[in-house]
Amino acid sequence: MNRWHFSVDELVLRQRQQGECQRAQEALSRVTSCFQQLATSLGSSADCSFLRDEMEDTRMSAYRLCSGLSQRLVHLLSGCDSAPSGMEDRQVLERLWVLFLSGLENFLSDLRMACYLIGQFPLNQHYDRHSLVNTGCTDGMVGLAASVASTQASWLALEEEPSPDLISHIAGLEAMLTEMQLRVSVPFWSVEATQPAWAEAHSEAEDPEHSLEDLMEVEVASDNRMAACFQPPCCGLGCIG
Amino acid sequence: MTIRTARPDRGQHFRSRIHCLKKLEATMVEMQDPKCGVKGSEQKLNITTIPHVITGETQAHAYTHLITPEEAQAFGTMLVAYGYIYPLQNHRKLIMCNDTSLYRFQTPYFWPTQTWVAEDTEYAIYLAKRNIRKKGVLEPYEQAHYNHLHKWLNHKWDFIVLQATEQYKAGRERKKPDRVVFDCQERAYWMVNRPPVSVCNYNIFYQQAIMRSKVKSSVSLGALVKYITTYKNHDPFLATCLPSNPWQTDNDTYWNLNMRGIDVPTKMRVERWSFSFFELLNDLRGRDDFKIFLKKEFSGENLAFWEAAEELKLGTASSMSTKAETIFKTFLAPGAPRWINIDGRTMGLTVKGLEHPHRYVLEAAQTHVFLLMKKDTFFRYLKSPVYKEIQKKALNPEPHNFTYQNARNRSPGIHPIILWQQEEQEKAKAAAASAPVDVKAMMSKIDRKK
Repeated sequence: MNRWHFSVDELVLRQRQQGECQRAQEALSRVTSCFQQLATSLGSSADCSFLRDEMEDTRMSAYRLCSGLSQRLVHLLSGCDSAPSGMEDRQVLERLWVLFLSGLENFLSDLRMACYLIGQFPLNQHYDRHSLVNTGCTDGMVGLAASVASTQASWLALEEEPSPDLISHIAGLEAMLTEMQLRVSVPFWSVEATQPAWAEAHSEAEDPEHSLEDLMEVEVASDNRMAACFQPPCCGLGCIG
Repeated sequence: MTIRTARPDRGQHFRSRIHCLKKLEATMVEMQDPKCGVKGSEQKLNITTIPHVITGETQAHAYTHLITPEEAQAFGTMLVAYGYIYPLQNHRKLIMCNDTSLYRFQTPYFWPTQTWVAEDTEYAIYLAKRNIRKKGVLEPYEQAHYNHLHKWLNHKWDFIVLQATEQYKAGRERKKPDRVVFDCQERAYWMVNRPPVSVCNYNIFYQQAIMRSKVKSSVSLGALVKYITTYKNHDPFLATCLPSNPWQTDNDTYWNLNMRGIDVPTKMRVERWSFSFFELLNDLRGRDDFKIFLKKEFSGENLAFWEAAEELKLGTASSMSTKAETIFKTFLAPGAPRWINIDGRTMGLTVKGLEHPHRYVLEAAQTHVFLLMKKDTFFRYLKSPVYKEIQKKALNPEPHNFTYQNARNRSPGIHPIILWQQEEQEKAKAAAASAPVDVKAMMSKIDRKK
């Protein structure tokens, strides 16, 4: 009787932990997307010390999310072997595992690029701003800070360890990746997608995007009319790409 | 962790361009200089204005103070083709037109790099994001890529959709003009870096990968270990080279002792002949020794045929037909003076091929003869008194002991042209000696003597 009791409690606990990890994964996706948006402004005219501070904050919350999530996933997946939980549970965990590792790799490549760009375009002196590329972006990060702040994970508030600087962060993530794959072996090809192809196209209800596409296209239409008047002899190199 | 979708390495155009890219980056930064760089202006759209747009004309003008106008045109087009600058109108045509058409600088995040390749996963995220934005209306090639990636990256498809949704939302947080710019930037980046259009190439690649012959690592490693144990004492850098390594001490005694026509070879050289038949034949001195042995056995025709076939393979094209004829008359014709004993099928094929001789017409027969010699004659040679005698005679030179003083006594050695002349003389003598005996001339000589 005791044994059954014990396993029911365990089951509930595991469900709760899975839910936590799921939400943390979504939060991580959000944070890494924000990081990427900020990184695209590095080296451009929208780059400034404020942007870089925002990047630091984003990176730090990503760091906390990553370490917490990796600990919990490793614990759940290695602990799973002892307790005979359902196949579905195991499948959900494996899917989370694959999602997390993919997200880590994606984030890692963004981190490396950001590290490289920060090295190329240091902003220590005022004249450094002359070397920034005029891309047309003026303001890189309105609203991003707000969405980053809204990410929630139960452990973000609790654990207050200091986050490392950029280079050690990269090294730490690489080490984490290898270590995780050594400790838990999940055949990632056994994970299947839950959504069919093209499903995401129908998820967004509002469509203010039409104007955006139109904006990108309008340039072509209006200027083509202008260009038609001149009929410039374009170079005979033909289409590349 | 990920199976990097093992697509064929588009390494044909992956030469190291790091220095070139670094120079281009420096040029791009120079162009931003407010005083002498490329002048930008504002682009007026319906809702907003976006700064920093440049025209093709201003670009071409900026380059011409360094290079000719044609080169400026080509340089500008290359900048666009590589993705440093992108066109705003007609974004599919990556060229620079020397007129008022509009361009913009690409943000450094999307500049081409050598170190990090555009990944399939990232492309999938971009396609999913575009799918969300355009509600399923993608270009045909994008649809093809999407379907392909959905199949091959199925295990991380949930991540791709999740990340695409989040990136889309993050993009929405920005101001309108910045969003337009960012979307144009991203679109331009993938226009340059998208994978090739025909997706079915991968299939052939996988088929070939499966068909490749595989060897167990225990087998290949065993072969490697065997090779190393056999040859390690003969490597001039791993083991001491007797008397001394000419590259290290500038003394060429080693080369003199190991020349092609030398009478007494070194012990190491003789030992090397015993490693494999290939080594024996390759070393011309060893081949000579083998010839002496074969003469004693009266079975020199195999080696003579092999050498003649080598000459045909490596000789001039003009001499090929005459050589082929001589070889046929000497070795292959029924009743030939030095007839070689090869199996009927190979003989038939070779004779047929000799009707229209080419360089490799004797390849099959040569291999057959090589294997005959290797399996039979070679081992008899190694046990023969000829080999044992040469082993005894072989020199073991003393290692040199160079001090600072006597290192200065260096000689230039024999001129290679003189060596070559000597070899040619030897060859002529050997040819005369082994020519088929002209019976009539011999008989007339004997008659005259009488």
